[in-house]
Amino acid sequence: MLKVENVKKRFGGLIALKGVSFEVKEGEIHALIGPNGAGKTTLFNIINGFLKPTSGKVIFMDKRIDGLRPSKIASYGIARTFQIVRTFPEMTVLENVLAGLGKEIYRSSKVFYEKVKKQGRIEKAEKLLNLCGLEEYKNIYASILPLGLQRKLEIARALATRPSLLLLDEPASGLNENETKDLAELFKRIKDMGITILFIEHDMRFTMGIADIVTVLDYGEKIAEGIPEEVTKNPKVIEAYLGTESDINA
Amino acid sequence: MTLDYFFTVLTFSNIFIILALSLNVVMGYAGQVSLGHAAFFGIGAYTSAILATKFGWGYFPSLLMSILVGAFFGFLLGLPSLRVKHDFLVLTTIGLNFVVVAIFKHIDFFGGPYGIIGVPRPVFFGKELETGGYALYTGALAFLVILLMIYIEKIYLRYGFEAVKENEDAAESIGVSVPRFKIYAFTISGALAGLAGNLWAYQMGMVFPDDFSFPVSISILTMVVLGGVGTISGPVVGALIVTFLPEILRPIQDYRLLIYGIIIVLVMLYQPGGLLGKNGLLRSIFKR
Amino acid sequence: MQNVINALILGGIYVLISVGLTMIYGILRILHIAHAGIYTLGAFLGLSFYAATGNFWLSLILSVVLTGFAGVLIYRYIYRKVLDKEKIVSLVISIGMFTAMQELYRLIWGPYKKPFALDLGINDIRTKYFVLTQHQILILTVTAVVLLILYFLMNYTKLGKAMKACADDLEIAAAMGINVEYVISFAFFLGSALAALAGILIGVYENNVYPTMGSSVSYKAFVVIVLGGFGSLTGAITAGFLLAFAETFLVAWKGFILPRDAIAFLLMIFILIFKPEGLFRRVTR
Repeated sequence: MLKVENVKKRFGGLIALKGVSFEVKEGEIHALIGPNGAGKTTLFNIINGFLKPTSGKVIFMDKRIDGLRPSKIASYGIARTFQIVRTFPEMTVLENVLAGLGKEIYRSSKVFYEKVKKQGRIEKAEKLLNLCGLEEYKNIYASILPLGLQRKLEIARALATRPSLLLLDEPASGLNENETKDLAELFKRIKDMGITILFIEHDMRFTMGIADIVTVLDYGEKIAEGIPEEVTKNPKVIEAYLGTESDINA
Repeated sequence: MTLDYFFTVLTFSNIFIILALSLNVVMGYAGQVSLGHAAFFGIGAYTSAILATKFGWGYFPSLLMSILVGAFFGFLLGLPSLRVKHDFLVLTTIGLNFVVVAIFKHIDFFGGPYGIIGVPRPVFFGKELETGGYALYTGALAFLVILLMIYIEKIYLRYGFEAVKENEDAAESIGVSVPRFKIYAFTISGALAGLAGNLWAYQMGMVFPDDFSFPVSISILTMVVLGGVGTISGPVVGALIVTFLPEILRPIQDYRLLIYGIIIVLVMLYQPGGLLGKNGLLRSIFKR
Repeated sequence: MQNVINALILGGIYVLISVGLTMIYGILRILHIAHAGIYTLGAFLGLSFYAATGNFWLSLILSVVLTGFAGVLIYRYIYRKVLDKEKIVSLVISIGMFTAMQELYRLIWGPYKKPFALDLGINDIRTKYFVLTQHQILILTVTAVVLLILYFLMNYTKLGKAMKACADDLEIAAAMGINVEYVISFAFFLGSALAALAGILIGVYENNVYPTMGSSVSYKAFVVIVLGGFGSLTGAITAGFLLAFAETFLVAWKGFILPRDAIAFLLMIFILIFKPEGLFRRVTR
């Protein structure tokens, strides 16, 4: 579904990505891991449209998407959450999701006459909130929510755009044990909906417990790829993480 | 105070309501700073004045043109806003205001420092409109603009604006093309300011460059900010206060600007959301 | 040649005003529009003290110091309260303050241009190519001395280095143990003092002081910081002179139709659209 072909990225003198290639197949829960600075978020930004690759291609469902605007890529069916949570703070939880539901509307002239709070739409939004366990907060302003719930809201809003591929940047970061278990459940539900997930994570226990495939980056290159059991035993991976043993041994 | 005078002040308040609401679209809804808004006001006014006096256009055609020209220049201003962030945008808009006024002042076609005079009273169905009628007319238009705002708040356009205002990256990720919506905001804002300009030109019968200078932009900003950026009632109340306060304070007319300045500082210190904003003084009074 | 001198003088003044603006923007990221009001305050105080004492240098020092403190007060009692709010709040407050200040001056000192006649007792320098009036000599000397002191301050003192650190990253500077409050207050003091100095010098040079004298100059000061790169001191200094030269020579060229003030704005709009970082990159955020 998503093919990253030899993507390189430089920022002035700094080479962030040295030529990364990998593939995400439909229906997978695919993890992207690696020590800090490996280039994971940079790769996300390229896939999602916030950055242009210096060279290389990104192909989604047979369409080339590198270099396109993020909003256009969103219209093709890729949704994303951010490392530092970016909900719309002055909107309520329900409104955040309603905003996501408007994805197709924003690029058409419908934006000038389509009423937001229509009954059918509100129901759809509430269903999504239900899915993510947020229904009791629906009229609360997003800025007041604790981090764990804000992350879920970001996911709910991303789901509202009816994506085929969901990019999640460190969704488990800052979550406690219960919240992490919750998140894993949510991942399963999303997979059951037929949505493919590609996520960046540092929490190894969470990642290895839920991912189908893991791709490992270090210093801008792919150093390993495979099912969780293989990757955790891979000497290159262990070496890359040396100094952060707690991650691997968790 | 004579009735005629009252109608005149009422007309001004209507014009300012439209002007404040137009700035609100750009600042309150889309979160873009525009400190040179008087420029669009002036462009609309001059368009009407020129069409009426030099080309003999009738009222409604020149009204339409003012709106279109305002929209066009709004669009033009939307373009640099795409490249340029907050602080820079502030300075660009101030600069634009200056340049526009300088053009009015120094180019003969625009009448130079003496402006353009001789704009006739608008003629409706063969009858010339005088103060009372004009106040009513502008009031109706102000009402329509308010309705427009209420409409906008219900449609997806508003959510697009809000997304851009609150977080541009997140907005893009849900399909909101940030440049597109910024341009929508500036264009609509320009169109409405152009409308206000037309109403002004026909009210005053003449246009002068200094009627649209930076201090005027500050007044418009005051109206929006005082009442509460981002709401509808906020700019309306702000416009009413800014228009009627000098009349009420007639005896201390000389201190008017000083009082504005102080009011702005106080409001920003203690009620930055405006008097009708979320925690605003007036809003909590009305909630009871 | 005469034009070069005029440009240098104009540049000097622009620089004096812009230094404060740049420092404040560099550290706090606020557009201190009220700075123009400070400039005017300096001019009026200078004039009043001079009228009272007859001693120019004493009046200069008094005015500069008092205005410096006024700047600090503005920071302590107004800006500091809204630093945590949205940027638009500090911007609007600055505009409100500026409006109030100009009105206050008008009410206290009257709206008319007041003369600031000063005879320093030195002679003009007249050569075949140019004339250097005593006022011009004054401005050039004062500006040169100030720039020298500034250079020394910023590059060789702890305070100067602390200011640069604060401009780079306020939080890190605080974490390193720098007394950020003191640095900011000092920046306001110095910036306001220099603005006051500029106000007095211009008052003397043009022989008038009036409430709205801050308006046109303030806009130009902003152009200078945009040209110079929003927070870069060397940038501001270079840009100040650049603008002055551009204005002087373009206006002298007979083919130029636009008014002098428009030059600054067109330049700014141009730079903002094509090279938003200015000519010297400093803003790291």
